Amino acid sequence: MAIAKESLPPPGWGLEGSAASLLEAFPRGQLSEIVGPRSAGGSSLVTSLLAHATAAGALVALVDGSDAFDPAGAAAAGAALRSLLWVRAGRRLDAACRAAELLARSGGFAWVVLDLSADPTAPAERRPPGLGAATWIRLQRAARDTPTRLVVHASRHLAGSAAALVLAVERRAPRWMGAPRPLRLEGLGSRMEIVRSRTFSTPPSPPGGRGSEWEVTWRL
Amino acid sequence: MRRIGCLLVPHFAAAAAVRAESGLVGRPLVVLDETRPGRLVIEASAEARALGVSLGMTEAAAQARPGGVICRERVPAHEVAAQQALLEVGLVHSPRVEEAGPGEVYLDAAGLGALFGDEPALARRLVQRARDARLPARVGLAGSRVAARLAARRTAELACIPPGADAAHLRPAPIALLDLSLEMARRFARWGIRTLGELADLPGRDLYERLGPEGARLQALARGEDPRPLDPWRPPPRFEEARELDWALDNLEPLFALFTECAERLCGRLEAQALAADRFEWSCRLAARPGETPRTIDGAFVPPVPTHEARAVMAVLRATLAAEPPSAAVTALVLRAQPVRVPASQEPLDGEGRPSPRTLAETVARVIALVGPGNLGVPVLLDTHRPGTLRLEPLSAGSGSGEGGKGENLRGVLALRRCRPPRPARVRLIGGRPVHLHAESLAGPIVASAGPWRTSGEWWLDSRWVSDEWDVELADGTLGRLAHDGSTWLLEGIYD
Repeated sequence: MAIAKESLPPPGWGLEGSAASLLEAFPRGQLSEIVGPRSAGGSSLVTSLLAHATAAGALVALVDGSDAFDPAGAAAAGAALRSLLWVRAGRRLDAACRAAELLARSGGFAWVVLDLSADPTAPAERRPPGLGAATWIRLQRAARDTPTRLVVHASRHLAGSAAALVLAVERRAPRWMGAPRPLRLEGLGSRMEIVRSRTFSTPPSPPGGRGSEWEVTWRL
Repeated sequence: MRRIGCLLVPHFAAAAAVRAESGLVGRPLVVLDETRPGRLVIEASAEARALGVSLGMTEAAAQARPGGVICRERVPAHEVAAQQALLEVGLVHSPRVEEAGPGEVYLDAAGLGALFGDEPALARRLVQRARDARLPARVGLAGSRVAARLAARRTAELACIPPGADAAHLRPAPIALLDLSLEMARRFARWGIRTLGELADLPGRDLYERLGPEGARLQALARGEDPRPLDPWRPPPRFEEARELDWALDNLEPLFALFTECAERLCGRLEAQALAADRFEWSCRLAARPGETPRTIDGAFVPPVPTHEARAVMAVLRATLAAEPPSAAVTALVLRAQPVRVPASQEPLDGEGRPSPRTLAETVARVIALVGPGNLGVPVLLDTHRPGTLRLEPLSAGSGSGEGGKGENLRGVLALRRCRPPRPARVRLIGGRPVHLHAESLAGPIVASAGPWRTSGEWWLDSRWVSDEWDVELADGTLGRLAHDGSTWLLEGIYD
């Protein structure tokens, strides 16, 4: 069945062309980080990665440190929710880290995402309390020798040298339809850049990207 | 020599209702099927039948009978309990019993003479034990199932057909005694065969040519020949481990140690029978002061996959008891398992990224111990437009087993980080549009907004809801979603 042209997003929207190379960028058996401030697109990237992995038939786990995950949005992004184990840690970050460690150590999940982003209304860019260097070393070791990609999503870089890959997400201007008075929020632009990679001597060059940078628009 | 006993409870649904409610003994009772329009009578006691009540009658027609009847709705649990009691009456007398249907049980009566005397004595004993179980059973003893059933149906209490006399007793019996299929019953009716004797007299070879092996089987039954062995019924195994304590435990760690012992014994028994459990129940009896009745606390949990791993069971039990410790010292504890047979399955060759059921159960149990039961599972969206409505279901071992495509239809969707629960917000409006937001630490002027987008639902219930949603952009670049329910502004989440 043909899809009406009007319903298709404009070229360059979403992760359609870049998802595969992004998935390849996150190393198996290693700890990676997605960092970015509030409303930068980090959660949209996490949702897209979960959607891509579950749609390919893999089992993934999301450890939600602030109970902010929106399953309806993930389903809209194409995620197969039946393949997603959602752990609601209830803002107890130490329990969230321990849970992610157990899930990564089991080796049974293709992706384990530990979401340590601040609560939506919490003061932005505050370092999560009680998470020291030992936490990240433990997480790194839990994922080692497993096929699991362990990803930490946070407002800022937390894992130090334990992270094999750090992907920074920056906010671009939101897209509003209608001027001068907005009628509808269409989406949000994000710029993503691999700022640290221990696995690639030369970071992967994404299709449509430049060097190790991506420009993505998330649509509502 | 083969001897079969038949325990038969006539009007079984009514008998089960009377068994559950002793005040109905001897009274005209009808059992109704409430699922059918008109509430039809599906069973009636002998007293009700004597008043002219027949099956299929409506409730109103039954109650209009002179003398009046008592109506009760069908309760399947009562029938299950009554059937279990009937089977246990059989098991008390014979090691082999067969469940033949509601209110009907066969037992192997051969060789019981040394224990219970002759056959009439055995039959009397069976009738009495059934009465003790509050079931008005009739007993028939014969050399075949069909003859034993016939004897039980035709007697008021007990009847024994002497060895070798089955065929003669069966000859005048109606052919319906054989539980014929509809097609077979029509065929015999066309042939004019109405009694078992007429069926027994048919030439066997010709019958086989026309009806095949089923015809030969029915003819053998009509002649009192019953070569099929009993299909023995076994009581459901009870997987329970308990510990009575000579002293009261007021510390969790020793309690965990005792539960661990129980779990290991229980799981060992399950494993020995190649079983797993899909539900565990526990209870603790608490110490009481003199003169008080001891209290019991209990709980149950369902593992993500059926398991017989004591470690996985204890991980959940530890978390549960640590979250809500017993309010007094414990004097006894019980752990029960609901057994299920788990078919063996081979791990898929391309099983990367999928845990084995055992690993999954153990890992999930440990994570539950950390975050608490109810905070982990597969999200399931409910069929409603109400924002954020969902439930969590246990992760099953089959999850992630290749469903989904290759991801061609993925969309880059702007994710909403939800506030759970939505945060109350103070919103200033100018010209009906929000221009300033203050929600906890999130505050600032709104530079762009779009809305309202109205959603509503359940207007036909007391739980009706309506929400006007706005997408807003703050001056610091934060994108959020506000909702107004007519009186209160709420921050539903932040786009990220």
